[in-house]
Amino acid sequence: MSQFFQATIYGLLQGGLLALIAAGFSLVWGVMNVVNLAHGAFVLVGAYLAWELSRVGVDPFLGMLVAALALFAAGYAIQRLLVNLVVNAPVFITLLLTFGLELLLVNGLILLFSADYRSIRTSYASRSLVLAGDVRVPVGRLLAFAVAIGITLALVALVRRTRTGLAIMATGMDRGAARLMGIRARHVYALTFGIGAAIAGAAGAMVGTVDTFSPADAGRFTLFSFVVAVLGGLGNMYGALLGGLVLGLVEAWGSQYLPGTLVNAVAFAVLVAVLIVRPSGLIGRAHYAARVEV
Amino acid sequence: MLALLASGCGSKGERAQTGSPDSLVLGASMSLTGSLAREGLLTKEGYDLCQATVNAKGGVPIGDRKYRLDIRYQDDTSKPDTAGTLVDQFNDQGVKLILGPYGSATTEAAAAVVERNHQVMADSAGADDKIFEKGYTRTFAVLSPATRYAASIVKAIAELAQPRPKRIAFLSADDGFSKTVTAGGTAEAKAQGMEVVATEYFPNGASDVSASLTKVKSKQPDVIIGSVHLVEGVAIIKQAKELGITPAGGFGETVAPPTPDFVQTLGPIAENVLGSTQWTPQTSGEDDWFGTAADYVTAFKTKFGRVPEYHNAEATAACLTLVLGAQQAGTTDPDKIRDAVAGLNAASFFGPITFDPTGKNVAKPMAVIQIQHGKPVTVWPKSDAEAPLIWPGLS
Repeated sequence: MSQFFQATIYGLLQGGLLALIAAGFSLVWGVMNVVNLAHGAFVLVGAYLAWELSRVGVDPFLGMLVAALALFAAGYAIQRLLVNLVVNAPVFITLLLTFGLELLLVNGLILLFSADYRSIRTSYASRSLVLAGDVRVPVGRLLAFAVAIGITLALVALVRRTRTGLAIMATGMDRGAARLMGIRARHVYALTFGIGAAIAGAAGAMVGTVDTFSPADAGRFTLFSFVVAVLGGLGNMYGALLGGLVLGLVEAWGSQYLPGTLVNAVAFAVLVAVLIVRPSGLIGRAHYAARVEV
Repeated sequence: MLALLASGCGSKGERAQTGSPDSLVLGASMSLTGSLAREGLLTKEGYDLCQATVNAKGGVPIGDRKYRLDIRYQDDTSKPDTAGTLVDQFNDQGVKLILGPYGSATTEAAAAVVERNHQVMADSAGADDKIFEKGYTRTFAVLSPATRYAASIVKAIAELAQPRPKRIAFLSADDGFSKTVTAGGTAEAKAQGMEVVATEYFPNGASDVSASLTKVKSKQPDVIIGSVHLVEGVAIIKQAKELGITPAGGFGETVAPPTPDFVQTLGPIAENVLGSTQWTPQTSGEDDWFGTAADYVTAFKTKFGRVPEYHNAEATAACLTLVLGAQQAGTTDPDKIRDAVAGLNAASFFGPITFDPTGKNVAKPMAVIQIQHGKPVTVWPKSDAEAPLIWPGLS
């Protein structure tokens, strides 16, 4: 029984990390209908920033804020100057553009940091709290989980309570109407992309603290994000969190009770099953599917 | 001397030399980008050092002429099918001598093409025994086969550890190479009279191995041995610490511990982990081109500013194999070079180089290292040991 609890707790924590990685990806996809293939590379840039800072003694949870700010600025600029050029083009063109961006970033990281594996070392991340039955809760993962919940709640508050957030949702639902109401769509898109990149940066700092990373991981992070976003559904700020937690739990239970090598098959089987029953994800509302582009 | 002048000097001259009668062209499909970029670069460094050293000594004497080494690289992006295609392209360009790519999967793909095209390949990093079970006659691996990786750790523990552990658990990635490693380790453990209490597999490249660890925990193994690459190896130690898994003896892992990244990413919790390695600077043996293992370290340090890893050394040794083969054959004819390589019986900085009929270097032993005070230290075989084994190995 304690094995089951251990798997469940670890799965939930792992799910929180996945949700954090995917939150920005899901936001950008949901609002702008841009599948950002460079998302995984953004996560890595965040990880390397936090890693560099940790080498001069900055705690990764502080480094996370710096990484988020830096990536917000970069994301805003990339959207305004680059992605904006093709935002109305067929989806293939945005895929191509963001894929190119990913190649550029990943190979840039290899040049700058080499392909060596890195990890941000802290004195507390691999400690764990001991519960009944020798069930362990690793501190680093617990903190990363808390960050994931915090960011999700902040996103929800943003899109429900603030004018900026409402503008983001409005632009996501109907860009033409939003413009007629005086919303500067170009600015809102850049803001959205910036927020997405910022969350990716924060996720990178967390991944760096609890796991290892190298430039080659970019594709893996993008794939996680894709699965989590589709599973949870777009257009709902809780989507990524729910998708992440479900994926984390399914993977943990799957590899606990089935041969470990089947874990990916199990995860994708759940994805397929969810899509059959709920084509727009667990709690998704695909605004852009019904949207009229103007 | 004339040959040297004719072929020009300086690295920019490379293009001009291409195909010139006085250069021995070797083709290498290499993981310069993609998931194996790190190891690919280490392999390339080993090849580069070989080229620089051989050319600095005037080139390979074949018959009565000296040939400069000219290694051409193509990026296989760490993908086996691309590696196969690139080796085929080398053949189209008339390049018959091939230096192996990094890793078993790419090497396996390249070996099939090499065989078909009557090329000759010196395999530097493809250790999976499967490559040698297909009846190929043109691929020669300088490194010890996969079955020895975990087996050598088991052997070292059986020989040196006090108290002697009785219960072993294997955690293994699910790629062909790692599975072969696990099978070899399991066989050795049984031969040593130990009990294998669990064998758990997880996907190759997994950074979360927590489920396998929790499953193993209840079996209370004395030693946990990982048949892994760096990512999974780091994850095992990290997550075992998180999950409070403390086998009475400690941890052993193939491939991961000897690489500097292992200690860098794990820090103090890497302490006393055992690992197996193809080569250490203490390896005995000597050859005319590179001298002893210690000389090799010096040469490598001069060129790259750091101590070589075993990936570097095995690459240089593969290049050395083709050089020695060509030297002995006395001609650049690939078939003759193949025969000379097959009959090779040489000592080298990498240890003995001799191939069995399937192309495996069975003469070379593997060494076992232990992380002691943040550094990999050779503890087995006893003849090459730098320090005694610390046991039990839990920090």
